[in-house]
Amino acid sequence: MNIAALLKEMHQEGTLSSDQLGILTELHLKKRFSIHRELRTAIYIGVLLITAGVGLTIKQYFVQLGDIAIVGSLTLGTLAAFLYCFLKGKPYSNDVVESPNILFDYVLFFGCTFYATDIAYIETQFHVLGDLWHNYLLVSAALFFFLAYRFDNRLVLSMALSTLAAWFGFQLSVRFPSMHHYYRESAIAYSIVIFLLGYSLHRLGKKKHFLDTYLNFTIHFLLLALLSGVIEYKIASWHFPAMVTAIVAIVAYSLRTQRFLYMLYAILYGYLCLGVVVFNFINDTAGRFLYAIISSIAVICLILILSRKFKESP
Amino acid sequence: MSISLYTDEQEEKIFISSEARTWTRSGLITDEQFGIINARTNTGVSQTNVFFRILFFLFTLACVIAVVGFYLWATGIRNEVTVAWSLMAFSIPFYVLAETLVKRNSFYRHGIEEALALSSTLLLCAGFVLLMNVLKSEPRLFILAGSLLMAASAFWVYLRFGFLYAAFIAVAALCVVPFQLSLSPANERVALVSILMLMLWMNLRKCLPTNEDFKKEKLATIQAFLLAGIYLAVNLRLPELFRIQSGYPGISDRSFAGFAPLFYWTTYVLTFLVPALGLYYGLKNRIRLIIDVSLVSAVITLATNKDYLGLKHYEWDPAILGVVMVIVAGFIIRWLIGGNNGMRHGYTARNMLKPENYGISPADLGTAVVIGEIAANQPSIQPEKPFSGGESGGGGVSSGY
Repeated sequence: MNIAALLKEMHQEGTLSSDQLGILTELHLKKRFSIHRELRTAIYIGVLLITAGVGLTIKQYFVQLGDIAIVGSLTLGTLAAFLYCFLKGKPYSNDVVESPNILFDYVLFFGCTFYATDIAYIETQFHVLGDLWHNYLLVSAALFFFLAYRFDNRLVLSMALSTLAAWFGFQLSVRFPSMHHYYRESAIAYSIVIFLLGYSLHRLGKKKHFLDTYLNFTIHFLLLALLSGVIEYKIASWHFPAMVTAIVAIVAYSLRTQRFLYMLYAILYGYLCLGVVVFNFINDTAGRFLYAIISSIAVICLILILSRKFKESP
Repeated sequence: MSISLYTDEQEEKIFISSEARTWTRSGLITDEQFGIINARTNTGVSQTNVFFRILFFLFTLACVIAVVGFYLWATGIRNEVTVAWSLMAFSIPFYVLAETLVKRNSFYRHGIEEALALSSTLLLCAGFVLLMNVLKSEPRLFILAGSLLMAASAFWVYLRFGFLYAAFIAVAALCVVPFQLSLSPANERVALVSILMLMLWMNLRKCLPTNEDFKKEKLATIQAFLLAGIYLAVNLRLPELFRIQSGYPGISDRSFAGFAPLFYWTTYVLTFLVPALGLYYGLKNRIRLIIDVSLVSAVITLATNKDYLGLKHYEWDPAILGVVMVIVAGFIIRWLIGGNNGMRHGYTARNMLKPENYGISPADLGTAVVIGEIAANQPSIQPEKPFSGGESGGGGVSSGY
C-alpha cells in the first residue's frame, strides 16, 4: 500500500472528492510544494537580527549618533510599522483572524521591538519617570496586550506577558533561577494574575485560542516558584500543599481537555517535588536508589495506563 | 534484506497515517475520511503521543541509571575492571528487554524501548572505554576504539529499531575518528569531510524512485544531517560566531585561522558551494529538510564571511543581514504570489500543511526571551544607584530593585 494507491482507492469508492484527490496527490508527489514555513522563519530571524543589530549599534554609538537621531528613527520605525498594521489589518474578531499576508505578523512584531527599544532608551537616558520608571513596563505590557488582541498575534502576546513579568520584578539574569523569597512571591502573584486574566478573557469568548499561551506562562512561573519553596522548606510550609493542589488541577485539566503537554509539565514538576521531599527523609544511598527505581517504574505504569485509556495518536 | 524489527508495510502504513493526520489538521480531509484512512493503515503497533513518549523515555532512563547505580552500590564493587564488565553485562538485558517490548508488546516509538536500547549502547561503550583505560591504553586509542564501537552499536540500533537519532549518533561518533589519527588540522578536516561525503554518497545510492515513502523520508533526513555535518566541517570560521557571544579571543588573530592559504581559500569557496549545491539538490527534488539545512548554512556563510576575509565586524552587521533576509523573503513571496494561482513551478508561499499546535511555539519562547535582551543592552551613562543594576525582562527599561 502507498499513499497514491490509497487515495485512488478512496476516490473510486466515493469517499474522497475529485478536488481532494487532486490536491492531495499533488502534495504527495510534491507537485505543489509550500515554502510558507521557511519564509516565515526567515522573516522572523531577520526581524530578530535587525532588532539585535539596532540595539548593539545604539549601545556602542549612542554618543556619536545623538539622542534625537536615535529616538527619532526608533519612533519613526515604530509608528510606520503600527500605521501599516492598522491600515492593512483585518477588522477585529473574537475568533482566529488570518493575517492579510505573511509579512504582516512580523511588521507588528518589528514595531513592538522598536517601541520597546525606544522607550528603554528614553528612560535610560532621560529618567523621565525617575523612581517610577517601572511603570513604563506596565504601559508597554498594556500596549502589547492591546496589539496582540487587535491583530491576533501570539508573538506579541508573549512579549506582553514577558513585559508584565518584568513589571512584577522578573529579570533575565543569573538571579532568576535562584528564586529567593522576593522572586518566589512575585512569581506566584504574577502567575495568578495572568491566569485570571487569560481565563476571564477565555470565558468572555475573547480570542479563546490565546488561553494556551497564558497557561504555559502560568504553569512555569507558578510551579517553579512553588518548587523553590518546597526545596527550601520541604513540607513545613504552605508551598507543598499548594504545589500538590496545582499539580492535581493541571492533571485534571489535561485529562479533561486531552492536552497532554500539561500532563508532561505536571508529571515532571510533581516528580521533582516528591523527590525533594522523599530525599529529605531518606538519608541512606540504598533507599534513595530504591526510591528512584520504584518511583520511575510507578510513573511509567501510570503513563501506560493513561496512554491506553486515551489511545492518543503520536 | 531488512533486519528491522518492523516490516516495510508497517512503516509505510504508519507514514501514511501520519500524513493523513497532517491533512486533517490542515483541513484538507474530514475527520471521517481520516477515520477511513486510519482503519486501512492499522498496523497493530502500539504508539503514543509525543509528550508521553518523552515521559516514558526520561523515566526509563532514570530507572536504568538507578538500577545500575543500585547494583554497583549493593555489591560494593570498586575494582574498575569489574565495574567495566558489569556495565557491559548490563547492556545485554536492557537490549533484550527493548527487543522484547517491540516483539511482544508491539511498541513503536514508545519511549521505553528507545531509552532501553540507547542506554544499552551507552553502557556497552562506557564499559569498554573504562576497560581500555584500565588496560593503560593510549588515550587516543581508546577514544578511537570507543567511537567506533559507539558508531557500530548505534548504527545497529538504527537498523533494528529505526530510530533516526541513533543514526545521527553513529555519524557523530564516526566524526570523532579523524581527530584521533595524529593528522594535521587540515588533514583532519579533509578526512572528516571524506567520511561524511562517503556516507552521503552511499545514502544517495540507496535513493531509488521505487522506494517506499517512509524510506525516502528517512534517507532524506539522514542526507540533511550529513550535509549539515559537511558544512560544519568545511567552515573554518564557525568558532568566530561563538566567540562574539562568549567574548573569548578566537582564531581570527591567526592568519588564515592557522591553516595553509590554499586550504583556507578552498574552504572559503566551499562555504558557498555546499549550501548552493544543497539548495539546488533540495529544490530540484523538493526535499524540505535539505532546503532548510542549505538555507541555514547559507545564512551562516554570510555571517562568517567577514571573518574569512579578515574584515572588521560592526555592530550593525546583524541588522544588515536581517534586512537582507527580510527583503529576500519578501521578494520570493511577491514572486510566488504573482504566479498562476499563487504558484510558480509548483512552489507556493501559501500555508498548505499546518504544523501541530501545542499552544506555545519556539518562536513565542524566543520572543519572550529576546525581548528582555533589548532592555539589557541599553547604554548606561547614569551613575550607579543603590538597588540598581538589574535587567528587566520585557519591553521597558533597565534597572532593578
